[in-house]
Amino acid sequence: MATPVKRITTRDDLDKWLDSQTFNQVLSFITDLQESIVGKPNDEPITESQIVTQLQAVLDSINTIIDNHPVIQEKDISRFGKVEFRDFYDNVAKQSPSLLSPLLTNQEHTLEIATYFNESWGDRTRIDYGSGHELNFICVLFCLKQLDCITPQDYPGLLLHVFTKYMKTMRRLQKQYWLEPAGSHGVWGLDDYHFLPFLFGAAQLSTHPHMKPKSIHNPELVEMYKNKYMYMECIDFINNIKTTRNGEKLSIRWHSPMLDDISAAKSWAKIKEGMVKMYKVEVLGKLPIMQHFMFGQLIPCPPGVSAPHEHHEDECGHIHSKDLVNTWGDCCGIKIPSAIAASEALKKEQSQKPIPFD
Amino acid sequence: MELDTDVPMEDVEDLKQVSTSATSSSTSGKQPTGITSIGGDASVSDAAAAAKKADLNVSSVNQLDQWIDKLSQCEPLAEADVKKLCDMAIEVLQFEENVQPVQVPVTICGDVHGQFHDLMELFKIGGPCPDTNYLFMGDYVDRGYYSVETVSYLVCMKVRYPNRITILRGNHESRQITQVYGFYDECLRKYGSANVWKLFTDLFDYFPITALVDNKVFCLHGGLSPMIETIDQVRELNRIQEVPHEGPMCDLLWSDPDDRGGWGISPRGAGFTFGQDISEQFNHTNDLSLIARAHQLVMEGFSWSHQESVVTIFSAPNYCYRCGNQAAIMEVDEQHNRQFLQYDPSQRPGEPTVTRKTPDYFL
Repeated sequence: MATPVKRITTRDDLDKWLDSQTFNQVLSFITDLQESIVGKPNDEPITESQIVTQLQAVLDSINTIIDNHPVIQEKDISRFGKVEFRDFYDNVAKQSPSLLSPLLTNQEHTLEIATYFNESWGDRTRIDYGSGHELNFICVLFCLKQLDCITPQDYPGLLLHVFTKYMKTMRRLQKQYWLEPAGSHGVWGLDDYHFLPFLFGAAQLSTHPHMKPKSIHNPELVEMYKNKYMYMECIDFINNIKTTRNGEKLSIRWHSPMLDDISAAKSWAKIKEGMVKMYKVEVLGKLPIMQHFMFGQLIPCPPGVSAPHEHHEDECGHIHSKDLVNTWGDCCGIKIPSAIAASEALKKEQSQKPIPFD
Repeated sequence: MELDTDVPMEDVEDLKQVSTSATSSSTSGKQPTGITSIGGDASVSDAAAAAKKADLNVSSVNQLDQWIDKLSQCEPLAEADVKKLCDMAIEVLQFEENVQPVQVPVTICGDVHGQFHDLMELFKIGGPCPDTNYLFMGDYVDRGYYSVETVSYLVCMKVRYPNRITILRGNHESRQITQVYGFYDECLRKYGSANVWKLFTDLFDYFPITALVDNKVFCLHGGLSPMIETIDQVRELNRIQEVPHEGPMCDLLWSDPDDRGGWGISPRGAGFTFGQDISEQFNHTNDLSLIARAHQLVMEGFSWSHQESVVTIFSAPNYCYRCGNQAAIMEVDEQHNRQFLQYDPSQRPGEPTVTRKTPDYFL
């Protein structure tokens, strides 16, 4: 078992990733999920398979862990988020292998999947959350698919029952621990935290006979449909958190010009397609996000991508110092730079350092 | 807002003195104050040069006043005017010091992040510039809706009243960070190209990185660096460059104070955390009374740390329409008394006047 590790550090790595089989598989998985709920509201009657039921039970356990870690300290810490999130995170990390193991027929990959699962709730140190963390949750599902624990028949249930429950859980976490938006574009991003509920949610609405993209501006429609459609839940959430200090609601144009602009699209079908195009560029194609993406056995790293060097001690126990790179080939099965690549890397060291958070 | 005040001659004089001091490499750290007579002790050629400068400035002043009027209505400048403005600003900023000396009284402000209407509120609360001296500690752009208008306005004010307002560089005044956190997207949205983003991010390289108020209050965006023990070491840095990923200049713009003593690894991935022992040592070594910095959201708008050796000031109320925080500015008077003025978000005048433009992805 290999613990998944971060690998993408350079623009060149990113290009290799975008050109890789792994990328295509992950993207197809997401678009297949999206297609599976075209025209289906959250309460669409579906038969739930065992794995869908089990995954919801796992999410119930996560909610119990949240219950067990209320915010008590009102300590003035340097970051905005509540430090109790770290206890929550640690507790999840402790329990995740046993929570996930009932889902798996053999336990070879339990810890691998648990690594993605643990990162699905946000960053422990920075107490923040963004579309990269959201992608980790998809990685959990993707791993289950790789192991044939999930089949395409499960997809509607995975989105309408499991993903919506994940969203509810994330909303609790965001509210309870004041998770900061990771790498937020401020008003200029799609959303502070999420991307996929917009991508999946647009599919739900794409065949709707009456609802138009502009309906996000109609408070009554948003209120009426927030439990029925993921996209509307997102609009409702934003309207409720982005307010004046007195809690008065503000126009979407003020705090979310991107969503406002998208509401000018011709149809939900256009938005459904557009979200996939945008996801490829703005999430899967963005270095600040993908530098945190982890590769393991079930989600293999594309060939030629830089050796991991964030943690100087690899699982082989060797210290792979950047100053003392081994220049004669592979070490422990992990590709490391040749002498030429190493000198290039030194020149590019600036750009290799992960883009810092703010 | 009263923008055209009774001090054009003073600022012409200020400009002259800035350009004079710039020619000598070791400035005394004293800024010109008040109105002095032009050319009183100057040679004939100096007087001629000053007259030429003054000529230039009359048209520049008019131009700047027009821009300031336009911007104070929250209307962005045309791209060609941004180009002119940035050229003028480089002429002023390149001669400022890494540790820009500032006189009391002065009002010290933290992050603004494109919240233009709240910046106007700030000037209402603190008093209009140039009647009040201002020191801004960076982070004018990213996240808010009006980064373009905000930074254009502050740069205009800087060029118009160079000795009345000091604008430091924050970690967001950087090419890399603005591409992640919104300013780049905003420039594309508002100008249809990245040209204005390029003009401003090129200009940011010239912003001073720290200021020293009356030799007692050290002001900067982030915090201390393990590679900087004395303020003189800051003076030796080559600041005219993109914010580096590591090293002293990076730390000054990225570090945060922390409850833990000593130096710590910053969760931000850049800069360090520093403890009370570090702050006290730095203040002692440099004979300072206070480090004033911004960079972190604080609910009351200001927050003391390290037994009042460090203060954090944050001037963007209800940050990102989400955080529900107050904003604050800190006035330091001639006797070095400090007073914090807190304020809430301004009332916004209706909707932004933009028509919806469907992003290409959704066409």
